[in-house]
Amino acid sequence: MIRTRPRLDLTRATAGTLALAVLAVLLGMGALFFWQSVPVWKSEGIGGFLTGKQWFYRHERYGLWTMLFGTGAVALIAMLVAVPLGLGAAIFTSEFLSPKTRLVVKALVELLAGVPSVVYGLLGVLLLRNWIYEGLDLRTGDTLLTGGILLGIMVLPTVMTLCDDALQAVPARFRRAARGLGLTRQETILHAVLPQARSAILASILLGFGRATGETIAVFLVIGRQDNRSPDFSALVSPGQTLTSKLGGSELNIAYGDSLHWGAMMGVASVLLLISILVTVGGRRLLRRP
Amino acid sequence: MITPRKRATSQWLFWITGACALMAVLMLAGILFSVAIRGLGTIDWAFLTEPMKRGGLEGGIVHHLGGTLILVTTALLIALPLAAGFGITQELYCRRESLKEAMGTAIYLLNGLPSILFGIVGYLVLVKWAGWGKSWLAGGIVLAVMMLPTITVAFVERLRQVPRAQIQAARGLGLSRSQLCWSILLPQASSGLITGSLLGVARAAGETAPILFTAAIFSGATWPDGLRESPVLSLPYHVFVLAQDALDPEAQDRLWGTAAVLLGLVMFLSALALPLRLRIRRHETS
Repeated sequence: MIRTRPRLDLTRATAGTLALAVLAVLLGMGALFFWQSVPVWKSEGIGGFLTGKQWFYRHERYGLWTMLFGTGAVALIAMLVAVPLGLGAAIFTSEFLSPKTRLVVKALVELLAGVPSVVYGLLGVLLLRNWIYEGLDLRTGDTLLTGGILLGIMVLPTVMTLCDDALQAVPARFRRAARGLGLTRQETILHAVLPQARSAILASILLGFGRATGETIAVFLVIGRQDNRSPDFSALVSPGQTLTSKLGGSELNIAYGDSLHWGAMMGVASVLLLISILVTVGGRRLLRRP
Repeated sequence: MITPRKRATSQWLFWITGACALMAVLMLAGILFSVAIRGLGTIDWAFLTEPMKRGGLEGGIVHHLGGTLILVTTALLIALPLAAGFGITQELYCRRESLKEAMGTAIYLLNGLPSILFGIVGYLVLVKWAGWGKSWLAGGIVLAVMMLPTITVAFVERLRQVPRAQIQAARGLGLSRSQLCWSILLPQASSGLITGSLLGVARAAGETAPILFTAAIFSGATWPDGLRESPVLSLPYHVFVLAQDALDPEAQDRLWGTAAVLLGLVMFLSALALPLRLRIRRHETS
């Protein structure tokens, strides 16, 4: 018998369907958030929603500004903790340790990168919060600063292991050439290895920043979750709110059913989604750069 | 020539970065240590096998442990075929380089999304629209989407290491693409699926945000019996709730105990994945 039509490739059909399902979930998620948030964009306007300083849902006033400030401040503080320590530690493991020791340290660090965020949150609640409260003599230990430091410790293993990968990716010939020119080990690292790894290191930092902006649980537990703090310097040592701590709160349950309030919550989610997409795409661009 | 002066000044980078590494390692070790010393004392056989009493003041965590296992098992069963299908499509069937690239980017995007967003989608679509209420299956589905990129990335990494020569030989023998998939690619790259699963499960087991609105409650649930309105207790959610009012010293012991069990579970799973990961790395570098 001569088969005229190509036989249906079951494997291909199954694999293709599964792959499409994954893509559909991703696109569906994005579409869902933006569609659901339409009421708030209509009511407040795009600029009004993003720069509005007030969030009073009982008075139907929805503004993101203080949450954007909170998220930005917390993530920046986290980077101030994680980047110097993480990059420094990565330079040490990548350039000064023997390959075997490096692997052991790296394995431990990667293990630690998996510590659940709720455990960090618990340590933040029971230890860090008190240290900040007593050490800085504040009215409360639930502050943006507490959240930032906790997040910094949390993303430290990620930043460290990614920076280490970035340094390892620099070909050995650069090191050999620099050493051959009579540069010391330190000069080799500073003038040959680091410049070569620059965009990959920046990508690592950006990905760490992305993790810090998206982290919910640990921040939620120590941030104080107070709306409408005016974004100034003193707000850093006061309770505040981030995009994620807003979404993680019970306000989500209250909002469901009220189309404007729900729209506002979905607006928060949309902005968070957009930030994380920008960070991921930016990180990949940087990594691709030669 | 390295002059003595040059040698002296060339030390500072070593010491500074060494101090950074030491500080980082000490800080992280301190985290494990502080959970361990507070929590390990509470853990005994009864703690692991008894149900919770008086809102966490007495009794054990058997339902929390069970609930977490139910959630991650469900998630793994859903995520595994999706990840395998995605990886095979991307590496075997997708012929256009740009499309391959786009699929890779999609997985990275999914990986970078904050976990709370998955929780909210699950809440809206499954809990509210589908009318399931809080349910173990809703939580399992949400966690599946979350662990999907982890499994896919590990699988694709492994697929790319299957020797070209073997694939060409198989093609030369006249194997079709689907035969290639079942007899060469899947057996060779299955270790990627295993590593990815271990890491994905480890990550999902510790996640709180995705199950906050979809699956977990604090008390009143035992084992799920059905689909709708059948929430579970879970380890991370238990820690999360108790951490919010952790002032009761009586509850603190059990709180740390629960945290230690959770941490131990996650560390154990990640540690299992470690040798496989390192083997992949060595393969890459050689």
